[in-house]
Amino acid sequence: MEPTDRETTPVSVRDRIWKAWLPGVAAVGALAALVAGSLRLRPTPRAAPPRPQPAGTPGPAGQAAAPAQPVRGLARTYAQSAVIGGAASPDRFLRSLTGIAFGAAELVYVLGDDEIRAFESRGIRVRSWRAPEHAGCLAAGPDGRVYVGSPDRVDIYDAGGAHVTGFTAGEKDKPADVTAVAVFGTDILVADASARIVRRFGLDGTPRGLIGNQNKTGGFILPNRSLDVGVDGRGVVYATDTGRHQVTAWALDGTPLGKFGKFGMSAPEDFVGCCNPVNLALTPDGKVVTGEKMVARVKVYEPDGTLLAVIGPEHFDPSTTHIHLAVDSRGRILAADPVRREVKIFSLNQSPQERDRP
Amino acid sequence: MSEKSTRRQFIEGSCRVLGLVTVGGAAGLLTQRTSANAVYQVDPFKCTTCDLCRTSCVLSHSAVKAVNDFEKCGYCMLCPAYMDVLSKPDERGIPTGKVCPQDALKRRVVGKVDAEDPNNNYYEYVVDEALCDGCGKCVKACMAPAGNGSLRLEIRYSRCVECNECAIQIACPDRAIVRVATPGMAPAGPAR
Repeated sequence: MEPTDRETTPVSVRDRIWKAWLPGVAAVGALAALVAGSLRLRPTPRAAPPRPQPAGTPGPAGQAAAPAQPVRGLARTYAQSAVIGGAASPDRFLRSLTGIAFGAAELVYVLGDDEIRAFESRGIRVRSWRAPEHAGCLAAGPDGRVYVGSPDRVDIYDAGGAHVTGFTAGEKDKPADVTAVAVFGTDILVADASARIVRRFGLDGTPRGLIGNQNKTGGFILPNRSLDVGVDGRGVVYATDTGRHQVTAWALDGTPLGKFGKFGMSAPEDFVGCCNPVNLALTPDGKVVTGEKMVARVKVYEPDGTLLAVIGPEHFDPSTTHIHLAVDSRGRILAADPVRREVKIFSLNQSPQERDRP
Repeated sequence: MSEKSTRRQFIEGSCRVLGLVTVGGAAGLLTQRTSANAVYQVDPFKCTTCDLCRTSCVLSHSAVKAVNDFEKCGYCMLCPAYMDVLSKPDERGIPTGKVCPQDALKRRVVGKVDAEDPNNNYYEYVVDEALCDGCGKCVKACMAPAGNGSLRLEIRYSRCVECNECAIQIACPDRAIVRVATPGMAPAGPAR
C-alpha cells in the first residue's frame, strides 16, 4: 500500500507552516483590509438645491446680500468720506470695536481693543487710555467727559482720560446689563438690557427714574438682548424696541411721546428680521439714524418715521450684528462696523445752493 | 554557544511579530470605534446645515434632530426659523409661510398673554422630534445675524444605532460629524 502525501509530509514542515507563515499571512490580510478601509471611495455629497432669494434679502448662510439696486427717490443721500481705524491705518483695531461717540472739541471717541481712543475728525489719534474691564459702550458729554458702560457699571473720565467717578447701574440682586449710555445736561441715561428699561441717573449716580416701563409689557421686547438709547437736543429720549421693530420716543420723566417702525422685508422704511433696529443715534437737526442687522444698513428718519436716506449694505460686513452709530456736529454719520473693526464716516450730499448757504 | 539563526528563521520571527502587532492594532482600533464611551455628534461650529443629515442616515427617519437652546433663544414673535419671513404677509404684516417643511417647530406664548397685539408676547419654540427629519432649515434661518443662533442640529442618542462607521460622517462635506468621548456617560442607546 502506497503511503499518502499527508503521511509522507514531515511533521516539522507542517508546524513551520502553521506557526510561522500563518501569522504572516494574517498580517498581510489585516493590513490590506485596513488600507482598503481607509482608501474606500467616499460618496460625493449631494448639496441641497439653492432656494431662490430676492435681492437684498438674507443669503444662503443666513447672511445679508447686497441689494441689486440702491433705494432711489429719497430726500437725502450720503457718501462715504473717510474711514477711521481701517485696515491700512496705524490705529487699526486688532481685536474688537464695540462703541463710538462724538464729543466736545470735535473729537470722536472709539471703544475697542480694551482702550478708549480719541480721534480728531481727520482720523488722527489724539490720545487713548485703558477702558474698564468688559466695557461695551460709551457716550461723550459736551463738557468733555466720557461715560463708559460695562456690565452693571458706568465709569466717568475727564477729557484727558483720568477717571473721575463711577457708579453701579443695577439694583441689589438685579445687576444691569449696560448696552448703551447717553448724556443730556446733568442726566445720564443707561440702557439696561437685562431689565429691558432705560435707567436715568444724576452725574453722581443718583437714580432719577426709569424710562420704558410705562408700556403694556413693563419694558422693551429685546430678543437679541440689546438696547440702544439716544437723546436729542430738546431732551427727547429715543430707544430701540427691537422685538417690536420700533424706535420709541420718551420724555425724560418716562412719558411716552411716540414711536415709529414695523416689520417688513421689502419696503425700505421697514425693519427686517427678528429684531431691529439694533442701534440708533440722533443728528443735530433732530433726525433719527438707525442701524440694522441681517440686512446691514443705516437709515435716516424724520422723528415721525418718514424715511430720508439709506446707507446700503455694501458698506458693511453682512455678518455684523451691530452697527454702532454717532453723528458729529456737521451732521456726518459715524458708523462703526464691529466685524471689520473700522469706522466709516458718511457725509450728506448737498446741492450747490445748500453748500453756498452760510 | 548559541546557534546562529538562519535567514529563514529571521523572516519567520519577523512575520510572527508583525502579524501579532497588526492584529492587535486592528483589534484595538475596532474596540475604540465600538466603545460605548464615545459617540457621534454634530459640531455646530462646523455644520453648514447642508441637508445631508436628513438624507444620509441609515435610519429612514434620521437620528439627527434640531434642538433649541432656550438660554440663547430670543423668544421672538417674528422668529426667522419659524416663519418664512419672505412669504406673503397677512393683514397685520406677519408672514404666513413657515420655514419647516414638516411643521416640526412648534410655538406657544409664554408668560402674560396679550391677545390684541402679538408683538407684546414672548414665544417659546420647541422641536417636535417625531416630525423633525434633521433637514436643518430652521437652524440655517436662525443663524446670526438673522437670529440668535439658538437652534442647532444634534444626533439624538435615543435614536442613533451607533454604526461602526457613521453614514452621515462619511457624507458630511464639512467634517461636522465628530467622535466625542463620553467617559462614564455612555448613552442608553435605542431599544433594539
